[in-house]
Amino acid sequence: MNVTLNWLKNYIDFDFSAHDLADRLTMLGIEVESVKELGAALQGVVVGKVNSIRPHPNADKLVLCQVDIGGQDALQIVCGAPNVCEGMFAPVATIGAELPSGITIKQAKLRGEESHGMLCSEKELGISDDAAGLMELSSDISVGTPLAEALGLEDTVFELEITPNRPDCLSMIGVAREIRAETGNELKLPEVNIHENDTDITEATSVTIDAPDLCPRYAARVIRGVKIGESPAWLKQRLESVGIGIINNIVDATNFVLMEYGQPLHAFDYHKLGENRIVVRRAAEGEQITTLDEEERKLTPDMLVIADANKPVALAGVMGGYDSEITETTSDVLLESANFQPASIRATAKKLGMHTEASYRFERGADPEAVIPALDRATQLIVELAGGTVCEGTIDVYPGKSELLKIQLRPDRVNFILGTSLEAAEIEQILYRLGFGIETSQSEDSSYQVTVPTFRGDITREIDLIEEIARVHGYDNIPTTLPKGDIPVPVPDISVEVRKRIKQFLLGSGMMEAVNYSFNHPNCFDKVRLAADNPLRDALRLRNPLSPEMSILRTTLLPSLLDNAQHNHNHQINNIALFEMSSVFMRGEEPGRVAGILAGEIGGGVYGNPYKNPDFFDIKGIVERLLEVCCITDYAFQKTEEPTFHPGRNAAVSFGNTLIGIFGEAHPEVLENYELPYKAYLFELDLEALADAADFSKRFEPIPIYPSVQRDLAIVVDFGMQSDTPIEIIYATGGDLVKSVRLFDVYVGDQVSEGKKSLAYTITYHSATETLTDKAVNDLHDKVVNRLGKELGAELRM
Amino acid sequence: MKKELEAIQAAALEALKDVKTADVLESLRIEYFGRRGKLTDVMKGMGQLSKEERPLIGKLANEVRASLTEAFEETKNALESKQQEQQLNTEAVDITLPGRKPAYGKAHPVMQTLERIDAIFTQMGFQVVTGPEVETEHYNFDALNTPSDHPARDLHDTFYLTDGNLLRTHTSPVQIRAMENQKPPLRIIVPGKAYRVDYDVSHTPMFHQVEGLLVDRHVTFSELKGVLVSFARQMFGDQTQMRFRPHFFPFTEPSAEADISCTVCRGKGCRSCGHTGWIEILGAGAVDPEVFRAVNYDPEEVTGFAFGMGVERIANLQFRIPDIRTFYENDLRFLQQF
Ligand SMILES: [Zn+2]
Repeated sequence: MNVTLNWLKNYIDFDFSAHDLADRLTMLGIEVESVKELGAALQGVVVGKVNSIRPHPNADKLVLCQVDIGGQDALQIVCGAPNVCEGMFAPVATIGAELPSGITIKQAKLRGEESHGMLCSEKELGISDDAAGLMELSSDISVGTPLAEALGLEDTVFELEITPNRPDCLSMIGVAREIRAETGNELKLPEVNIHENDTDITEATSVTIDAPDLCPRYAARVIRGVKIGESPAWLKQRLESVGIGIINNIVDATNFVLMEYGQPLHAFDYHKLGENRIVVRRAAEGEQITTLDEEERKLTPDMLVIADANKPVALAGVMGGYDSEITETTSDVLLESANFQPASIRATAKKLGMHTEASYRFERGADPEAVIPALDRATQLIVELAGGTVCEGTIDVYPGKSELLKIQLRPDRVNFILGTSLEAAEIEQILYRLGFGIETSQSEDSSYQVTVPTFRGDITREIDLIEEIARVHGYDNIPTTLPKGDIPVPVPDISVEVRKRIKQFLLGSGMMEAVNYSFNHPNCFDKVRLAADNPLRDALRLRNPLSPEMSILRTTLLPSLLDNAQHNHNHQINNIALFEMSSVFMRGEEPGRVAGILAGEIGGGVYGNPYKNPDFFDIKGIVERLLEVCCITDYAFQKTEEPTFHPGRNAAVSFGNTLIGIFGEAHPEVLENYELPYKAYLFELDLEALADAADFSKRFEPIPIYPSVQRDLAIVVDFGMQSDTPIEIIYATGGDLVKSVRLFDVYVGDQVSEGKKSLAYTITYHSATETLTDKAVNDLHDKVVNRLGKELGAELRM
Repeated sequence: MKKELEAIQAAALEALKDVKTADVLESLRIEYFGRRGKLTDVMKGMGQLSKEERPLIGKLANEVRASLTEAFEETKNALESKQQEQQLNTEAVDITLPGRKPAYGKAHPVMQTLERIDAIFTQMGFQVVTGPEVETEHYNFDALNTPSDHPARDLHDTFYLTDGNLLRTHTSPVQIRAMENQKPPLRIIVPGKAYRVDYDVSHTPMFHQVEGLLVDRHVTFSELKGVLVSFARQMFGDQTQMRFRPHFFPFTEPSAEADISCTVCRGKGCRSCGHTGWIEILGAGAVDPEVFRAVNYDPEEVTGFAFGMGVERIANLQFRIPDIRTFYENDLRFLQQF
């Protein structure tokens, strides 16, 4: 909402500068979002008097004017306006002025004659579209006065952010009340005198409220014989300064009072009301209304309407009806001032998508006691601006009148909550300035009975009063202390530790952390070739997605990482090593996942550390090390048939019976779907399963006292044999004496026969209880070789 | 004989001067010290000397032997160090060739900021807890004193799911869940993702928040200020000023927004802070009694405060990214900068 400095000063005295006022309002909780100087656009434009005119020697349509702008010498200004005449007062744009039209005034020669400024039309000054001639000014303004000042255009506009709990601040008087809390100065409310000089209103109309639950109060006045016309300049200027459009004198008057009191009003053309009367009721099934914006609205029975004897004539608290609006031919006016139930207005406005100045206030809660003052104020203004006679009396149907709310306030509680040590007198003063009534209660705790004014519907509890006290006292005046309470003992959480270690490891391995939206496109499951019956396809769907790309919640992180790879490849970045840790969304649970992608080129890409294409064993190595980092040793790998992956280059990781995750080379069709011209290696693991399997309970293992002995072994086996089959036999044969077996070479080629391959292992033998002799090691090694030969047909390769 | 010894010594020292290689030195050593060497030969003649002469010449012979041994040793050392020097010269590298950097990844900038925030509060005794991102109306709104007809709901453009649930619009529902599961005192922070229907240069439909909650027998608004000022100084530097402005949140009363002195102009006023000198960083307040009632805490028995901040916003105070949607493109040229 906008307020202006000058307008506010009509209701309260204060001498803050604009900057100071903005600061104080902000610190009271009314955030000032912007401060704009009006009239700034007219800088350098002053009032001038045309002293004399003589013809331009070289141009028929131009004249040379001597213009007095209050300086020592009159200025010579070349002018071509048809209405220029001697003795005329008109705006002069002086040298250096920048006009709203974008023109900068410079000293110039026009057809050989000097011109020291420019006499302006209203259009040139951005005041109106009138370009017919010079703007004529009143001759009682002294020459040299800045035009903005002369026209009363100098003002400061504050754009305020009013929080939804403070509808009382949606008006000049409301903001003035906040200034009162700050300064203690009394409000200057408009003085209203209405000369009631027509018949009794009860003869002219009646108001019936059929829905008192939705309309606590409805008041009306009737004004006859008005003359519809343009509003005077002062009114237009006020409304324009806060951004309200100009309509006609009647509507402008109601809008002025809306801004003044925060009370929405509506003027009906009295003769367009069936039987000239008002019925406030719920809409009937199937009823329609054409609103002021000429839209036809279908109504439902939960909507409150203002009707005449036959049909709805306004959407209560939202917008008037087109058929009963004030037009040029209107002579008699029925003026409405009412109060409506917030939730009902809110529901109607939302349902119809109509957000108006009126609905904005009613849905937050308007003051039922502002109904009559605003009605009278508007009536007075209408008579002033449009003439007419006022029917005697006011119709005021007020079924919702209620007792003023009283709240008990304990001064001790104020200080207990805030950590302050406010005196009773300070508390009383703050409440008084805010308009609260205060009585000291008879009870022994010296508490107050605080009466809440009707404009503060947001105050219903003691804590609300405490906030008011804190607010006006100033949050900055509340002490700054550290909590005194004990620090609760935290509960250790292994999953936090697991995540931390995994992240550290992945960063250390050179992968960059990605963070993706939780959303995805439903086609992502097809792109990663999930099987039709894969439960991951059962994703949660958004009812109001921003776009199809963001319409489901992801059940796997892999499509996002593939999207990232595609994005980077499209931007010629091909050293893709990314990981992400995030929840995914299954029905009823949000399990954590860690996933990664290697694609394109890895390595430094420099002499001595060239790029290389990642392969299956890079991603496998990452997964293996990640498991180690979580202190998980007893895991197993097994090939899967997941269609996302190359059928021969993938594996599932499991721990006991629990599946931890899957990794491998992306299937060529997946690569194609993401337009990747190179292979990509992926992994995705379940963080909960990792946390369950992780075991950080480390214990010291003695460092071996006796030396270990290493023997290399190269065997030729069938090409299809898995490299861990011989390892199992080596362990089985050597028992505790085999400390480790390390595969260090795989060879296929001329040196071995077709269909065979050579596997070379280093076996480390070791005993915890003695130094192994050469003979003991040799015997054991021979046993290993024999058994490999017998069970696997392995031949020793020399 | 004495003369002979002196001549040998002189000749040997002279010869050593010209030695350039280890081989020449070795043949020279044999020439003098070998079994047939000159010095050896002279010593062999000792037997023919008189009793009187023998000790004198013997002493002289030992001296000559010692001095020559030393001279040979010196020459040998000199040759060796020269050779090492030559060796090292040939081994010199072009130090401008690239180093073999071990691979090292970088955490996402939003996560870096989130982790810093977490660390500051953890060190103040707050425990990190998390909660679901798919929420119910109850936890996201109703239990936080925001019933469905409340205008405050307009502030949240909520993503709804087809199953009737919603994506949490803030991490505040975890407050409720934590209080339901735990008796006071509570001192928790809740980092996590939240969602709102918003997509422009300063809004992403998914963003990160850190929510904090402290509940105990007697927690004051002044302690809320203390904790947040301490946070701001640790996060933004110890010169940071902080101010608290009244604001409105349905689940806190009194409520505040907190600003820090502009990190660009240090409070003088500039474009980043809209010429106010202040930058809004978080919302906070004393826990509303209605929220306590929703979790069966007695508001006369406990008080508390809560606060919440947007991580992207705080991250961007440092990074100054013109379009914060860049955070979630995961462009490697972007990620590598942090
Ligand atoms: Zn600044």
